[in-house]
Amino acid sequence: MSLRLADVRWSVAGATILDGVTAEAPGGRLTGLLGPNGAGKSTLLRVVAGVLAPDAGGATLDGADLLAVPRRERARRVALVEQEATAVVPLTVREAVEVGRTPHLSRWGGLADRDRRAVDDALAAAGVAGLADRALGTLSGGERQRAHLARALAQEPRLLLLDEPTNHLDVHARLELLALLRRLTAADVTVVAALHDLNLAAAACDHVVLLDAGRVVAEGPVEEVLVPAVLEPVYRVRCDVLAHPVTGRPVLTFT
Amino acid sequence: MPAGTPSVPPARPRRAGRSRAVAVAALLPALALAACATPAAPGPETPPADAPAARAATPDPYPLTLENCGVEVTVEAPPQRVVTIKSSATEMLLALGLADRIVGIGFPDGPVPDAWAEEAADLPVLSDRVPSAEVVLGVEPDLVYAGWESNLTADGAGDRATLAELGVATYVSPSACRDPAHQPDTLTFEHVWAEIAEVAAIMGVPDAAADLVAEQRAALADLRPDERGLTALWYSSGTDIPYVGAGIGAPQMILDAVGLTNIAGGVADTWTSFSWEQVAADDPDVIVLVDATWNSAAKKRELLATSPATANLTAVREERYLVVPFPATEAGVRNVSAALDLAAQLAALDL
Amino acid sequence: MSAGADVARPRHRVPTGLAAAFAAAALLVSVTLAVTIGPADLAPADVWRSIGDHLATLLGGGPAEPALGALRDGIVWELRLPRVLTAAAVGAGLSVAGAVMQGLTRNPLADPYLLGLSSGASLGAVAVLVLGVSVLLPVAAFAGALVALVAALALAGAAGAITPGRTVLAGLAVAQLAAAGTSFVIFWSATGDSYREILSWLMGSLAGAGWGAVGIAVGATAVLGTGLALQGRVLDAFAFGDTAAAALGIAVGRTRWLLLTVVALLTGALVAVSGSIGFVGLALPHAVRFVVGVAHRRLLPLAALVGATFLVWADTAARTVFEPRELPVGIVTAFLGAPVFAVLLWRRRAAGADA
Repeated sequence: MSLRLADVRWSVAGATILDGVTAEAPGGRLTGLLGPNGAGKSTLLRVVAGVLAPDAGGATLDGADLLAVPRRERARRVALVEQEATAVVPLTVREAVEVGRTPHLSRWGGLADRDRRAVDDALAAAGVAGLADRALGTLSGGERQRAHLARALAQEPRLLLLDEPTNHLDVHARLELLALLRRLTAADVTVVAALHDLNLAAAACDHVVLLDAGRVVAEGPVEEVLVPAVLEPVYRVRCDVLAHPVTGRPVLTFT
Repeated sequence: MPAGTPSVPPARPRRAGRSRAVAVAALLPALALAACATPAAPGPETPPADAPAARAATPDPYPLTLENCGVEVTVEAPPQRVVTIKSSATEMLLALGLADRIVGIGFPDGPVPDAWAEEAADLPVLSDRVPSAEVVLGVEPDLVYAGWESNLTADGAGDRATLAELGVATYVSPSACRDPAHQPDTLTFEHVWAEIAEVAAIMGVPDAAADLVAEQRAALADLRPDERGLTALWYSSGTDIPYVGAGIGAPQMILDAVGLTNIAGGVADTWTSFSWEQVAADDPDVIVLVDATWNSAAKKRELLATSPATANLTAVREERYLVVPFPATEAGVRNVSAALDLAAQLAALDL
Repeated sequence: MSAGADVARPRHRVPTGLAAAFAAAALLVSVTLAVTIGPADLAPADVWRSIGDHLATLLGGGPAEPALGALRDGIVWELRLPRVLTAAAVGAGLSVAGAVMQGLTRNPLADPYLLGLSSGASLGAVAVLVLGVSVLLPVAAFAGALVALVAALALAGAAGAITPGRTVLAGLAVAQLAAAGTSFVIFWSATGDSYREILSWLMGSLAGAGWGAVGIAVGATAVLGTGLALQGRVLDAFAFGDTAAAALGIAVGRTRWLLLTVVALLTGALVAVSGSIGFVGLALPHAVRFVVGVAHRRLLPLAALVGATFLVWADTAARTVFEPRELPVGIVTAFLGAPVFAVLLWRRRAAGADA
């Protein structure tokens, strides 16, 4: 279920946001989408999710052309968790997650047992099963984020896209989320997460794509991309790499 | 008519008797004082200059003060430049023979009766609706006589207090006072005639009123109300929700004179919105159609005949319609003739 | 989870089927009772017999002469029954339209008239009433509503993509313009009598609703209202914003246009029949949400049923409370709707749900 992007372009009102993005997210792996503010990470995720139509270029998921597939079908394979949830909706967590089943439901059909199971599974996977009957408005930011994640999981996607999913989460919750994402990849879901925090990416990602000004600057395993030579010109700060004492993965410091 | 000249009582005017005393005592307290001194008509007559001042005790009624719809009005001298708003006001002055004192009319509700048509043709029309204050002031009136109290507001012909400050007296037909305290509890012909007398007093022509009132009184006395106990609907306007004459206004007064029972008479209002269902339940014997330029009797007939709800009414199936022109349905000089006319139409229906 | 596991439902919500059955029964009872109520003194048994006879006649049987006499029978069959049926259809249609508008614009204060629809319809209606051709009233009102919609969408689209926020603002602008036009027409040309008719229309009135009105209202609600009620799934997807809806496979722009147009057509037809009856489209969806929850798949059909019942009773009150005078039903709905709405808002806050 690898995602392949070929020369994706997107511009709005004369401003070019994506300037020919070619990259790959290997199937069943956690890929980090990195880059400074304005690099085009959110836009790229939206293009892949079908929210925005690219001006040019293609995207395939495991060989199937995502752009040619009907919307509903695409939504059954690709799910997007947004960075900032909209104003709180007066739904319970369960009702919100049920919305995630939309692409699988018929026009006027209700939720079948299969759908209810998917909802329950999603709730459990995101760790919000205990909050199922709470109203969204009564949750903390982190809990709400996980509820939205559950909604995406209810779509039973093969490709899960996340836009800055750790923003509202404390340290514990962040690591929990990353553990969850690893569990998903173990279940052969391809996960692409736009991340701000380079150390998080270093700790968790198998594959990293670095964007700058709408272009892919570097792509590859963490050890290859998260190095000062690559990062410094992009982030314009001095960068040093250490090795994590326990995991051995790169740890980055900036000055 | 010179102000301040002691009044000269003319040769005995026709006695209006009890009713005149009621009218005078009720409405013209200032003049009642004068009338106590002389049983003659209130206010000065146009005396021949050589008539002796036989009763020096009768003062000149001007400036006269009266209360009108709760507002105190002072008239310094008989008004010579009057603006009338609504047909009821215009026709009142025409009936009193005062066409030459009208400098502008506003909001005419319909054509004037033939008797005055020629005079009325020359009257300058200030507006088809309520004229604005500036337009009214532009003709420099000394009196604005309005048929409805709502005509005299700041965005109508002018606020009464403001006009008074500018030296323009205002007068509203008492039957149309909005405050129920100043409205007659139930309109009767006495009220109408009292208004005629009051207007005439203001204008300085009490004899003309006396003549007119006596004429109308006699005509009405000749009218025998129908004794058959027939019911009627006074249909003024409205399609989905009918607007009808109710229990305390001019429609009721006229129906009483004709001898018809108003099916909406139980509603304590001058006119009221009603319901077709109630009309159907009551099934009136006749229907009085108000003929207005904007909503003709013919249109009402058609509506009644074509609407499935009303097509089965007895009065509709047998076309028992009486028609009355709209200006005659507001309290004023045409009420008596309206009653007479309706009575004649009723007789002609041959029920 | 095993196949037979009892998947949890939100405990405080009434199951949809039960609620729908109850609401439908309430509506039926209401209609049956409302036709027996009115200024004219008719026994309920007589009323039902008259209706039964008419129905039998329609089916090709039944007595030749109405048992009640032509006039009293006319009260039932030409005045009361069509009016009650129209009230039911209009109430249902407005409730569904209101709920859909609230979902589409994600604005709990939205109502069917949001896009200047009622103002546009009012302008058309008032113009016709003033010109004295009131027979064209439904057509003019409907046309006015559509023109207002087109103007609002054009205005919203002129500034870029049509977003809910822009649509609401454009609708407000159009509504203000149409209201100004209406006031001008009234002020300039209305005579004393037509004020009354105009006011009655502006407040919303079901007086004079005959079988023609029934046809329009029931037809519009049955076709367009049902169409909307089936979009519950789609509307739920809009709950989290346009991006989320798109990611769930909804064609956001096209769907929004389509739904708005259907709402406009439905509202236009209903306003043409009954004037701009307020508060039904605004308050009833909230009341129903309080009982059955926010999910549109449940909300829309139930809002329709409850709205129908509500307006049947509101209209019954309008024509009997001050008998023999009639109030425009819009006055009654405002009196009832405003406090209901206030109570609901207060309770939502107290329950900790999002306000």
